[in-house]
Order: sequence, then structure tokens, then C-alpha cells
Amino acid sequence: MFGFLKRFRKKSPWILHYNTGSCNGCDIEILACLGPKYDLERFGIVNKGNPKQADILLVTGPVTKRARARLLRLYMQMPEPKVVVAVGACACTGGVFRYMYNVENGVDRYIPVDVYVPGCAARPENIIEGVKKAIEIWERKKKERIELPKLVEGVEGEPLDRRTLIRQLEEKFCKRLPGEEEE
Amino acid sequence: MKAILLLVALLSPILGGIVYGIERKLKARMQNRMGPPLLQPFYDFFKLADKRALQIHSFHSLMGIAFFVAAWFAVFALLVGPNILVAVFLHVLALLFFTAGGFSVKSPYSVMGALRELAHILAAEPILVFAVIALYLTTGSWDIEGILSSGKVPLFEMPLLFAALVLTIPIVLKRSPFDISEAHQEIIGGAEIEYSGIFYEAVYTAKWLEYIFIGTLIFLFGGSNYLIGFLLVALTFLLVWLIDNSTTRLTVHHMMKFAWGVLLPLAAFNVFWIAIWR
Repeated sequence: MFGFLKRFRKKSPWILHYNTGSCNGCDIEILACLGPKYDLERFGIVNKGNPKQADILLVTGPVTKRARARLLRLYMQMPEPKVVVAVGACACTGGVFRYMYNVENGVDRYIPVDVYVPGCAARPENIIEGVKKAIEIWERKKKERIELPKLVEGVEGEPLDRRTLIRQLEEKFCKRLPGEEEE
Repeated sequence: MKAILLLVALLSPILGGIVYGIERKLKARMQNRMGPPLLQPFYDFFKLADKRALQIHSFHSLMGIAFFVAAWFAVFALLVGPNILVAVFLHVLALLFFTAGGFSVKSPYSVMGALRELAHILAAEPILVFAVIALYLTTGSWDIEGILSSGKVPLFEMPLLFAALVLTIPIVLKRSPFDISEAHQEIIGGAEIEYSGIFYEAVYTAKWLEYIFIGTLIFLFGGSNYLIGFLLVALTFLLVWLIDNSTTRLTVHHMMKFAWGVLLPLAAFNVFWIAIWR
């Protein structure tokens, strides 16, 4: 039964695209993939914009300190099976922003990344190839295995409990009132 | 005839899925794209069945399923069941289940989408009721078999109401310029945002049923001349998709003004005119 359903995964991957402080170069290229020239919708790929219904997370940008809590939250809200594609040099390593005071040097410090797409900005052909690789990985994943972000310092608790983890992460990253000192 | 109607009612999710597939393909061609395969909605359906479903709470998930069941009941009432007026009321009931689900979660987009969905109901359903009343006035029958074998073509007696009904379809199907309740770039689907996995599947499929529901209503305007009926359905859907591709989203106020200021007077004038003229 589930073998039968798994055959349809590669025919309808839905994308969630999140920009963690990128310069918009890679975002434009991702949109170009979905536009008339490259037309990813002919493979059933649509940009859903909704983590609860998405299968592939396309992340661009070096994770800025403001964006990381949202990134973790989006990753946790995606139902399994899911894959993550880091698009562009910034998302892979931090790119030109590496070791700056406000960035976290790439996505894989916080969430497990399945495919890295290099380039500044990543070319549409590269992105399509990366998504294709991601679908190959996605087809091997099981929905029973819960995937959570890498635990960061100061966040403990049951690794399987989504809600507690979200609350702890929000307490750590989101409650920064004006006047409170930055890390 | 009864057997054919029952078959259409039973297969309506599949037929609706095919119509949705045709829509996606045609819209892509209008935008100079290749577009997804014709059976893409079913690929999505099977993929969603194999995803983990994250529930908010059980009432929310139940309302998603109730939306699908009530929408299917509405199609049944239209094609097989008691009469077409009941079908319109069941259609409202289905949308109310959906709004109840949207209101039951904390997500602001979901609540906003549900509020806008109520505006859609207010705008569209009176015109559907007028259409059903006018079908009765011209053919003298409340049920589909009576209308299809009445020997009359309702379109010729109520062109104004038919025009109003055609312009209501974007409101019912949530197509541009009236895709207000599920504005994908703005509130990411509205009331459907919190559904995932198999519960989203129910909501996704319930929308296919609306094609069959509204398509049948349009078909009835051909009366006993089936060729006119099929032509009307094809041309109407083509027009709706063309409008969808070439317009931008309006606001709720525009929609209410248009529906209650233009469409409803048109429909009411036509109905009163028929009632007095008879």
C-alpha cells in the first residue's frame, strides 16, 4: 500500500521557500525556475508557501540572528517526510557574510541539510538539479521517522515533543525586547 | 437517465479532479507554460495520503472532513436527491463547516480566511438561490429530471440571470478577481492553512466537488437541449479561467458592492420579470 503511494512522491513535490537574509539573488533565480522559462510546474512542483503542506524546504541566505527562530519553526512545522535544500553559497557556508557578527554561517548549523546547491547566485539549472537530487533523497525517507532541528545550546527537553521544543526555542530566540542587549 | 445522474454523483470527486487538471493545464498554456500533466491533482492526492498529518485539535480536523462530506451531499442532492434548492442549502452548510474549522484555530490567517469566506457566502449564495427559483419558474420543476425533460431551454427566458450566475462563479470557486478568501500570496490559502496530510486532502478534494456542483447548475440552463447545456458549461469555464488569468485581486468591499449592487439586482429583475410575465 505505502509502496504504491510512494511512487507518487516524485510527481508532486511542493516547495516552501524561505529567505533567511539573502540578497534576493537566489530568490529571483528560484522564482525564475517557477516562471514560464524553466516552468517547474510541468513536473508538478508548486510553491506552496505553507509549511504544513510543503515537502521541500528551499532555504536561501546566511541565517541571520533574526531569522533563525523562524527557520527552526518552519522546519518543525513541516510534516514528515521532508527534505531541505540549501540554495546558494550563503545558505551553504555563509558565503561573503561568513564570520560576520550578525550571521550564523549557513543553514546546516541549525537544521539538517540534504542537498547543497552552490553558486552566487545559484543558477536555475543548478537549482533544478538540486531539487531533483532532493526528490531522490525524499523518496527514500519514511514518514514514521520524526525529524527535528539540531538542538542548540540552552534548549533541552524531549527531542520528540514538537510543541515543547517550539516553545523553548521561541523563549530563547524571540523574546528580545527593545533595550535588551543583543547576544 | 437516473442511472447516469447517480453515476455522475458517485464519481464526482474524480470528475472534479479531472476538471481541475484541465484548468491547471489550460491556465499554464494561457501563460505560455507547459503546465502540469492532466492527472496532476490525483498525483497530489496520493502524495498527500503518504504525509504525516499534524493535527491542531480534533474539531478542526473534523470540520475539514465535514466540509468534504457536506459538499458531496450537496452534489448528491443536486443530481439525485430531493431537489436543487436543498442542494444550494447543503452547499452553504458545507462552507459553514469550513468556516467553523477556520475559526477554531488561533492562526490569524486562518481566522481572516474564514471571515472572508463568510463574505463569499453572503455574496454568492443569494444569486444561486435566485437561479434555482428561476429554474423552477421557467420549467415548473424543483428536481433535476423534471428540468432536463421539461422541453424548455431556461437560458432563453433568463439571459440576465445567467449572466449574473456566470459572474458569480469566480466568487464561488474563489478565482481571481474574487479569490479573496484563499489569496495565496496574501493569506496563504486562508481557512485551509492549518490542515496538513490527510485532512488537507479532504479540503483539497472538496474544492473539486464545487466544479461539479456549479457545472451542473450551469448545465441546467440548457434545459432539455443537452447540446446547449454542454456548450454553456464549456464556454462558461473557459471564460472564468480567462478572467482568472487576466485580472488582479479585488477587496471584500469591491466584491460585496459588485455582488449586491450589480449581480443581485440583475438576477432579481429577471426573476420578477418572469414571474409577472407568466
